Amino acid sequence: MNSAIWWTAAATAVGTLLIRMLPLYWMQRRMSCASDIERERPLPTWPGVLAPLMIAALLGLSLVPQPTSALGWSSTAAGSLATLCLWYKTRTLGLPVAAGVAAYTLVLLIGS
Amino acid sequence: MALSFGLIATQAGFSPLEAAALSLFIYAGASQFLFVGMIAGGAPLWLTVVMTLLINARHLVYSITLAPWVSESRRWPWLMHGLTDQVFALAHYRLPLLSEQDRMSWFSSTAIVAWSGWAGGTLLGSLVGQQLIGQWPLLASAMTFALPALFLVLLAPRCTSLRWMMALLVSAFAALMLALNHMANVAIPLAAALGALCFYLLPESTARTSS
Repeated sequence: MNSAIWWTAAATAVGTLLIRMLPLYWMQRRMSCASDIERERPLPTWPGVLAPLMIAALLGLSLVPQPTSALGWSSTAAGSLATLCLWYKTRTLGLPVAAGVAAYTLVLLIGS
Repeated sequence: MALSFGLIATQAGFSPLEAAALSLFIYAGASQFLFVGMIAGGAPLWLTVVMTLLINARHLVYSITLAPWVSESRRWPWLMHGLTDQVFALAHYRLPLLSEQDRMSWFSSTAIVAWSGWAGGTLLGSLVGQQLIGQWPLLASAMTFALPALFLVLLAPRCTSLRWMMALLVSAFAALMLALNHMANVAIPLAAALGALCFYLLPESTARTSS
């Protein structure tokens, strides 16, 4: 990796860090400088709406099987179903994920 | 995914240490693939920076969303280096449930585990990725489902009304369709915007309280 590529990587790293930290820094400043009346004013609701929708978009992206074959889609469907069923029963994080991965693998194994 | 990145970075001409350094300092999942691909393809360096930052622009919303659960400590903005998609999804679910004094330690440990896993996975992928995937192809395929399963579990409690359910479905389906049509780079903001449109267009009367 030559020095120009190192500089490109450094610029990308700094830019990414600023994208992540500056909005929070700005919100912290805004909240600490606000008067008591302003502090009692409710925060905007749009981030609370947009955040779960971005996670849903991430879900949509991650659901695409690689390669996109009938077996890939079947195993994805089985994994999703197992995850949701176990979540409905247990309302926990770990077990449903493990069950989803197990169901996904089982269908892959049977189909291959 | 970290293993795959290490493998691809090596194939693109980066040494294992260089690939690990990219994962440590840029630490931005999908956009690192684009970075390496553009460098390997000989794209202008300024365009590589711009495109990578454009993909990461969605993170602007992440830290704003977490702000209500964050104290005024000056350490918090620096901790945002660890705010990836997965850490954000977990933090969005977990931080409101924790007491104020536990939030920073929870976030730090989660971010450090994810960060070291990503950098370590990259290094491993660069060094022995080809052999690992060759030896256990099923394991590599199986682990790809852990991420969607985690997102499913994080989103399921959000389905408290028909309005939320429809908005989440629209967002997930739109992202899926965009990814299938080779538009994965714009899928997240575009799909989330469509979901938000659906949320605000549906009348509030479609909201019902769940158990």
